[in-house]
Amino acid sequence: MSGAEFWIVQALNGLQLSMLLFLLSVGLTVIFGLMHFVNLAHGALYMLGAYFGVAMVSATGQFWLALIVAPIGVMAVGMGLYQALIRHMRRQGPMNQVLVTFGLIFVLVDLVRILWGNVGLGISVPELLHGPVQLFGISYPAYRLFIILLGLAVMLALGLVLTRTAIGAMLRASVENAAMAATMGINVERLLLWVFALGCALAGLAGVIAAPVFSATPSMATDILIPTLIVVVVGGLGSLRGAVLGSLTVGFVQTFGAVLVPGLASLLIYALLAAILILRPQGLLPARQ
Amino acid sequence: MFYQTRAKNLTVLLVLGGLALYAVYGGYFAREIVVEIALLAMLAIALDLVAGYGGMISLCHGALFGIGAYLFGGLTALVGTPVWLATLAALAGTALFGWAVGAVTAGIGGIFFIMATLAFGQMAYVIVFEWRALGGDDGLAGIPRTDLAGIGLDTGDSLTFALLSLAALALSYTIAAIALRSSFGRTLTGIHANEERMRALGLNVRRHKAAAFALSAAIAGAAGLLAAQHTQYISPEYLVWTVSGEALIVVILGGIGTLAGPLVGAVVFVALEHVVARFTDYWHLVIGILLIAAVMAGGRGLYGEIERLLAPGPGTGKGGDGA
Repeated sequence: MSGAEFWIVQALNGLQLSMLLFLLSVGLTVIFGLMHFVNLAHGALYMLGAYFGVAMVSATGQFWLALIVAPIGVMAVGMGLYQALIRHMRRQGPMNQVLVTFGLIFVLVDLVRILWGNVGLGISVPELLHGPVQLFGISYPAYRLFIILLGLAVMLALGLVLTRTAIGAMLRASVENAAMAATMGINVERLLLWVFALGCALAGLAGVIAAPVFSATPSMATDILIPTLIVVVVGGLGSLRGAVLGSLTVGFVQTFGAVLVPGLASLLIYALLAAILILRPQGLLPARQ
Repeated sequence: MFYQTRAKNLTVLLVLGGLALYAVYGGYFAREIVVEIALLAMLAIALDLVAGYGGMISLCHGALFGIGAYLFGGLTALVGTPVWLATLAALAGTALFGWAVGAVTAGIGGIFFIMATLAFGQMAYVIVFEWRALGGDDGLAGIPRTDLAGIGLDTGDSLTFALLSLAALALSYTIAAIALRSSFGRTLTGIHANEERMRALGLNVRRHKAAAFALSAAIAGAAGLLAAQHTQYISPEYLVWTVSGEALIVVILGGIGTLAGPLVGAVVFVALEHVVARFTDYWHLVIGILLIAAVMAGGRGLYGEIERLLAPGPGTGKGGDGA
């Protein structure tokens, strides 16, 4: 493998990690911006998505079905949690939200361990995405390319909904000024619930598509949590563009850091986080200036 | 505002006395548990000092604990520094790190403060994990215990070490209580209650927060260096953010902003861990449910609930005497 090919592969890997982070962080950041609610259990929902996917595939053998059903399952869990816990936590301040959702991580992780055990479970990639594909003169696993394309598609769809539809306008108005939006007749509460549900579904989707690459393990819940939170903080609360920029930044810093300064890649990420918090606490592209 | 009330006196004496009796009359295993509780309680007291009274919810206290352990372990096992000097260096080093974190993060509020402390704690973790000279992820062994033969104590003995840990816990509580009762502590509580007003009164808020964080860090570091002496082996796992999360759980279960609560929390946490582990592997499930229940019940924690039962009346609506 020549030098240029190596860097193209690394760039694609960075892009693939960025897309996973985007799927996770976009829900988190909008919930954060809209509800001022910090959901530490978001990573646990990602883990649930992976296990729901594993269960679906082992029951039916249908990857494509799992890709649809698992996010819906995660969404249902998310809605249940919203009704049972999160609704009551809305006005309790960040401290209590952090604690309750931190407790939820423990509960969900142990439930998964009870149901599926500690051993990592894999999903085999569907036939269509099995082999490598030729791209820019290199061969790259088709499945990883699929992750990139799916992430880009979701990014595009969300961007269109947010900028071109009435729902999107309502959402932007609510992030900008929830009280004002409510007086203009927008049902902010109901909007919140659906945004939360969508965020959960996207976390679940990220979980299913990650399962064939990393295999489903209980540690997924906490492993992905910190990078996702970093994306949210770096990008800026509540904004789609922030989530895109944050995911790309973290994904590429992590991937290239691992190649260029092995071992210290995660140090770079934390240094980036600390620098943003101290120098530009609103993030790079916040929804509210 | 902090008051060393009769209820606090009673709670602290009961916990310390109970643990001492358990160590004296229990076997080797009981003494190990007493050490575990004492060190966890010290870490939780350190956290309650900044979180409960200063409003600084830190997720880097696990790292402070680990830095204390590694400074002591590295200096004694690798450099051959005398134990007393290594102890002083470990305390000063963690205090300095805590001071720096406190100074740099002083302008950050709410959830962003939590994230910032997480970032600094994780940086320390990654550095220790990757530092081959410190043993990297293999950890570091061969750490000596304090030699107190001069005053007739054998620290190699499990009972002696357990009682010494309890003494360290009592000392930590006393130092924290004295600090909180002084004008320093009153000012810290004032910052928690209304930072703008304290600034308007002419206080250098950043310097004060940094000093409080340094004191808290020194107590956390003391717990860490005792942990290093206890197991005589340390690993980077001490510094991971989930350790800080556990310390926070202990503070919440016991009662945040009560200072006596963390002692109760540490006893309950360690006891639960050992009792639940006898029946099931899934003890995190139990602790997760307890944590959610404690927060949903109003966040007063065990000590807060006891205090409310003892002295029902106005002014005890919200848990703790932090703000």
